[in-house]
Amino acid sequence: MEGFFQALAAGLLIGAVYGLMCVGLGLIFGVMRVINFAHGDFMMLGMYVAFYLFTAAGIQTLFGNTVGPFVAILLAGPVLAVFGYFVHLALISHVSGTRTASLEGEGHYAQLILTLGIALILQNGGLIVFGSVLASIRTPLSSTAWELGPYFDMSIFLNKARSIDAIVSLAIMTLLSLLIARTRIGKSLRAAADNPTAATYMGIDVDRAHRTAFALGCGITAIAGGLLATNYPFHPFVGLEYVIVMYAGVVLGGMGSIIGAFWGGMTIGLVQQMSTLILPTQLQNAAIFAVFLLIIFFRPQGFFGRMVERT
Amino acid sequence: MLRIEGLSAGYSAKPVLNDVSINVGAGQFVAIVGPNGAGKTTLFKTISGIVKPSGGAISFDGVDLLAVPPPQRAHLGIAHVPEGRQVFPSLTVMENLEMGAMTESGRRDWQANIERIFEWLPVLKERRNQFAGTMSGGQQQMLAIGRGLASSPKLLMLDEPSMGLAPSTADFIFERLIEIRRQSGLTMLLVEQRVAEALESADHGYVLEAGHVVLEGNNDTLRADDRVRKAYLGM
Repeated sequence: MEGFFQALAAGLLIGAVYGLMCVGLGLIFGVMRVINFAHGDFMMLGMYVAFYLFTAAGIQTLFGNTVGPFVAILLAGPVLAVFGYFVHLALISHVSGTRTASLEGEGHYAQLILTLGIALILQNGGLIVFGSVLASIRTPLSSTAWELGPYFDMSIFLNKARSIDAIVSLAIMTLLSLLIARTRIGKSLRAAADNPTAATYMGIDVDRAHRTAFALGCGITAIAGGLLATNYPFHPFVGLEYVIVMYAGVVLGGMGSIIGAFWGGMTIGLVQQMSTLILPTQLQNAAIFAVFLLIIFFRPQGFFGRMVERT
Repeated sequence: MLRIEGLSAGYSAKPVLNDVSINVGAGQFVAIVGPNGAGKTTLFKTISGIVKPSGGAISFDGVDLLAVPPPQRAHLGIAHVPEGRQVFPSLTVMENLEMGAMTESGRRDWQANIERIFEWLPVLKERRNQFAGTMSGGQQQMLAIGRGLASSPKLLMLDEPSMGLAPSTADFIFERLIEIRRQSGLTMLLVEQRVAEALESADHGYVLEAGHVVLEGNNDTLRADDRVRKAYLGM
């Protein structure tokens, strides 16, 4: 019983970060309908940016080992957002948006190859620049825990770093939800996603809306990556491990739904942690996809997906 | 206000519009009628910049419209109420109207505009928090019109507002348009297949067939034309 609650707590904490990671991709897919296979590698870049900001850019000396990593991780967001902005401007915009709106498949084939190409370049470039040694953003919090309880003779231990990761994820998720729901920028992003042609009639620059979504999506996933890096060591090919989880989360939540992507990621985190109760660790990822298939079997549109035709 | 000269446009090698010239004066209500496939929607899409023309010129308020990027054209004061309504289904009615008011003038006049829109189309006020995708066709059409008005346009372009609607609903929407026009004096360009109604209320009409303007004139001239009487008015 204690093991169950412990796994539940661990699943919720990691799920919140997975949720944020999926939201970054979900935002890009939801607004642009671009299949971005390089998103895991954008996250890897975010991890390294946070790592170097912390160790080499003086944040460690300025803020110390406890607060410093989180400052670096939050700063990696804007850095990757700027990077994503220019990747869209220089590359993605040529195979998406108004340029390909009238093509068969809306340019999806070209997007597939282009983003796979970007992924390869980032992975191999990362190998040259960062090397193959495992890196991690360790804080003293990573190896300490808060004890909840004992309640009914049970204690649950919450890893301090993971707990703060989850809180940061939820805070960013809340800010993003407010941005999307309330602000002019958020509403115009949703309008551009709903009907790009009609959005143009309203005077919304759809390509610019896409660029905003792409930059935001990269920044958000970079922060999620940095948060993961406080507990999991990483390397230049780490994106491959996560991009599939990201897509599973986005599909589970419902393609196009941003809040859905969060719950999709949360579900994956929970399944991953809970499965360790009954399955050997090696089967964690298999368990994720078994549950994924099961949910999609009964609810093909995902949790928040709507069965509507795009106009 | 809107001057189209010798416009040709199409999707591939085959032109849909051929040497089309149309003039809309400030304050005028101009109707373009014609059968399916005559190029009416393509004409509107060319004005809005979704279709690139292969020849000809369009000027709006003295500005060379073809040199203006498509998303900027709304900001000049052109509101396009598209064929098939094309409201934003996952946005609420109010948010749809806000999207109409993305233009500078729309933002400036928002309070006054929204009051007038709700007065003209009260159903939008009743349903302002409903998702647009869950409304009926007629309600969506009214929302599309309201969304166009929310931009404080100089020119309101309406692409077949009666399409796919029950005759009584179409009549109601037509009557609303006439009332909006009477009260606001807004310049309007209307494309319609309901020829009799369109010509009746318009100051000037064009008949577009197979990409050509085959006839133009005021209501009396057009109604007096034998071909129009036979082909469109069933007389």
